[in-house]
Amino acid sequence: MAFDYTIKYKSENNYENPVHEAYWQFLVTPENNDSQELLSSNFNTSVDARIENSINGYDFETARIHCKKPFEKINFEAEFRLLKKEMNPFEFTPTLDNHLDYDLIESLLFKVEFESFLKETDLTKLTEKNKDIYLFNKDLSIFENLDALNKWVYIQLYFKTGVTDVGTLLDEIIENRHGVCQDFSHLFCAIARRNKIPTRYVSGYLHQGEGFFGDSQMHAWVEAFIPNIGWIGFDPTNNFLVNHNHIKISHGKDYNDCAPLKGVIYSSGKNETKYSVEVSYQQ
Amino acid sequence: MKYNKSNPIFSSYQNNTNLFDEIFDKNENVRPTYKKILELYSDHSIQDFANLNEKAKASFFNQGITFQVYSDKKAQEKIFPFDLFPRIIEAKEWETIEKGVIQRSKALNLFLWDVYHKKNIIKEGIVPMDLISTSGNYLRQMIDFNPPGGIYNHISGTDLIKHSDGKYYVLEDNIRCPSGVSYVICNRNALKRALFGVFNHYEIQTVTDYSENLLEMLESVKPKGVDSPTCVLITPGVYNSAYYEHCYLAKTSGIELVEGRDLFVEKDFVYMKTINGPKRVDVIYRRIDDLFIDPMEFRKDSVLGVPGLFAAYKKGNVTLANAPGTGVADDKAIYTYMPQIIKYYLNEEPILNNVHTYHCSNPDDLKYILENIANLVIKPVDEAGGYGISIGNRLTKEEIEKVKMVIKENPRKYIAQPIMSLSVHATYIDETNSFEQRHVDLRTYTLLGQDKEFVLKGGLTRVALQKGNLIVNSSQGGGSKDTWVLKK
Amino acid sequence: MLARVANDLFWMGRYIERAEHTARFVNVNYFSSLDAPNKLSQSRPFVLNSMYAMVNERVEDESELIEEDVLFNIGLNPDKIYSIISCIKIARENANSSRDLISTEFYESINKFYHYIMSYPKDTFVKNGLYDFTTTVSEHTAILRAKIRSTLLHNEVYALIMLGMNIERATQITRIIKTKFDDAERAIGGYTNPIKNSYEWTTLLKCAESYDMMRRLYRKTPTQLTTLEFLILNPDCPRSVMNSINQTYTHINQLDSLKLHSTNSSAFFIGKMRSEYEFKTIEEIQESVKKFVEDTLNNLVKISSKLEEEYFNY
Repeated sequence: MAFDYTIKYKSENNYENPVHEAYWQFLVTPENNDSQELLSSNFNTSVDARIENSINGYDFETARIHCKKPFEKINFEAEFRLLKKEMNPFEFTPTLDNHLDYDLIESLLFKVEFESFLKETDLTKLTEKNKDIYLFNKDLSIFENLDALNKWVYIQLYFKTGVTDVGTLLDEIIENRHGVCQDFSHLFCAIARRNKIPTRYVSGYLHQGEGFFGDSQMHAWVEAFIPNIGWIGFDPTNNFLVNHNHIKISHGKDYNDCAPLKGVIYSSGKNETKYSVEVSYQQ
Repeated sequence: MKYNKSNPIFSSYQNNTNLFDEIFDKNENVRPTYKKILELYSDHSIQDFANLNEKAKASFFNQGITFQVYSDKKAQEKIFPFDLFPRIIEAKEWETIEKGVIQRSKALNLFLWDVYHKKNIIKEGIVPMDLISTSGNYLRQMIDFNPPGGIYNHISGTDLIKHSDGKYYVLEDNIRCPSGVSYVICNRNALKRALFGVFNHYEIQTVTDYSENLLEMLESVKPKGVDSPTCVLITPGVYNSAYYEHCYLAKTSGIELVEGRDLFVEKDFVYMKTINGPKRVDVIYRRIDDLFIDPMEFRKDSVLGVPGLFAAYKKGNVTLANAPGTGVADDKAIYTYMPQIIKYYLNEEPILNNVHTYHCSNPDDLKYILENIANLVIKPVDEAGGYGISIGNRLTKEEIEKVKMVIKENPRKYIAQPIMSLSVHATYIDETNSFEQRHVDLRTYTLLGQDKEFVLKGGLTRVALQKGNLIVNSSQGGGSKDTWVLKK
Repeated sequence: MLARVANDLFWMGRYIERAEHTARFVNVNYFSSLDAPNKLSQSRPFVLNSMYAMVNERVEDESELIEEDVLFNIGLNPDKIYSIISCIKIARENANSSRDLISTEFYESINKFYHYIMSYPKDTFVKNGLYDFTTTVSEHTAILRAKIRSTLLHNEVYALIMLGMNIERATQITRIIKTKFDDAERAIGGYTNPIKNSYEWTTLLKCAESYDMMRRLYRKTPTQLTTLEFLILNPDCPRSVMNSINQTYTHINQLDSLKLHSTNSSAFFIGKMRSEYEFKTIEEIQESVKKFVEDTLNNLVKISSKLEEEYFNY
């Protein structure tokens, strides 16, 4: 069974002073992978600008917009159509011997292979006081540990918008125990990596028909690599495994690799960005 | 032949025989290569040198062969001091240097390919993973990317010194944006103007063929499907301290000198804005650092770069020389593994010596270090910019004990190297109006292209103008000498 | 060639030319006023005001002008955009950014020139260095001109510099005419008829380094009619507006020989202006010198902005 998704991404940028030249890079296009197929994508802007499809440094698809005429306000709209397969998150063969897996993640080969996603970044750094905040139980399988971590993060933090931003560090999040999906995901990544499990931060869209947290905004979750199984998606904001409601755009070490919008603006003064997302499907 | 004292221009030359003097041996005899030039220079009085020195300075200044120094918000133009006494390298000696620096460049290139692909050298435990993963210069965007022609370090500058044992040692491999090559050529021109007579008595390799080789190398790494590539050199602009060099290289290799604002990217191709409209650019010799080449991908505040350039590069539509991410291999810590790196990829013994490195994490090494601390330099492995370095022979007894404690507490964090002594060379000193011994090093320039390798026969001999000083950098008041490589 | 560099070459040409005219204007006016035949022409404020008028500096009260200030501002004040030092600074900056395209010889000359001006002592200049300084500036610019002609390929680089120089020359000559015409009017006392034998015409010709040429051609004391005819319309006088426009026309075609000229192009506009001037008579100009001068300056500004749109847009 497949779901026929329509995703609308809208953003409005206002600038205090006229902008003479600007570049934007949108990383909002869903990727093609085993469970999702992008059927069409469409970009529009309110100003006369060139729109090009390109890639970012990690080979995810982007839309780059270059505008050379002065403006103070610009609207963007993107519309994507996508086929998403029904997914069973538990569709894998459980490991028979946990110790083999734990031995494997200790091996140099494994560490080198997954170096990028084992690395601590500024946004996924556990400082000295928090470094043992959550340790894995070696009697359980890696999957079981990650699933428990998913739940722990979900319980540990409560969802609240406007209290953190994209630069908020884990120390503050752990102390205040609130945040949004980025913060849940960063905390999950940090702890999993601390326990030697490669994890990647994922940005995407969430279909929220069933009352999940995620708002009408972009969503973020995590993929963790489990030996002999592969990358498995966890959504710590909702204490779920990733399913057909999750539409992936890109992944990276943390938010900074996946920022949906980057801009180079030749102007002075303040600017304000608002955006909204609409996700709907027909079965 | 003893020239000391009897020679009018060397009458007050203080020969410290503990140091390796390039001109005089331990018994104060003139080395064979320098006999003729010393004879010729003896026809001049020291006053002649003072005059020639003044003229050379004025000539550099008038030609605008200068760099900008900023102090108190005011920009000042300075010349890079030039010395009238050339450094001479024999053909045989040079041959070793040339082979050695090519060997290093090739090994580093293979190393870079490996760390951005399969990482075998790390998987096999030869180079520790930490050196890569904690390096700020390891660009993960480059993972699994194949640069055109398979080349990363198209242009390398290798810093060599001659130790008191008379052997060359490599101090550093510069494979980001090594500079100074234009001074090699300017120095040659200046010396020709000042003392043309001496050139008749030596057969010297030319240094003027650098730019044509540079262009040939750049063209050899053109993107796929391009017949005759358009190459450009991108500079941060007129206020950059190496701007003169950028102009010089662009001019002599006949390529356009561009700034970021002259380029734009459309549909993942790079164009420059000309008076006749956009013109496609295929190869970019970039003299701006990795993090400034594209504000979309790296530093957002960079006004030097070109939005979208990195995407064009990754799509294979433009070549960047040097490739982004080469910095990971010119790390201090990687340097210590150079002998192993050469062995691993080329199955060869290193031709040039590395300064021996003792790892405190190795118990035997640690024992040696603790016993010989006064003759060693202790460096932390993870600090850059000269922080945390202790030079053994400059420490007091108490300080030595303190260093020992620190090492023992955290042996993984430290390495030690013997204190190297740079060779000295007679150098005309303004203040005393005489020739004096000064420490020198040598930077060589290597080009690596597809099926192409080239080492400039000559190099930049840098001089530490302050007495006893070992730091030769121009920012620290260093000067330079014309460097002669003799023909066979 | 890069649009940015083309722009720099063009403006380098303009600034070199501007520095020369400013230097000569100051030199000639200052020294010829010392023994001028009538009182007003001789008066300090009158001369200083004339200098300021030439560089477009507003003067509130002529009588309060201080000679040393005026000379310093025009010659060596780096904060005044019109000063000779600023012109050469910008010209050299432009040379720096196009250094890979110009010859080593030319660069060395402009660099030496720059260092000469930068190190010229202010006190000497305002006290007794005026003659020395301004003549040396003229000489240096002559050297630059020679290096441009003889050490650069006569290709687009050359064409752009020459375009800049000629448009600037036409502009400066027209501005000098304007200033001296106003001076002459004032010197006579607001006469409406042609101002015949004013001392100012001789000064005007000297400002344009054209006095000797003009005397050879006309063999008479300069009058308004003959002076203007010579400086505006004579195609053989290398300083005339006509000559400059002719050269501008030649160089725009050199730059742009391959293009079909749309009626909106710079080449078309320059060609049109050239034809109009070619068939103009001095009698037509005499009817309203002021209007003619204004129109010419406007047209030159228009050429410059058209070039910018068409070639330098980056």
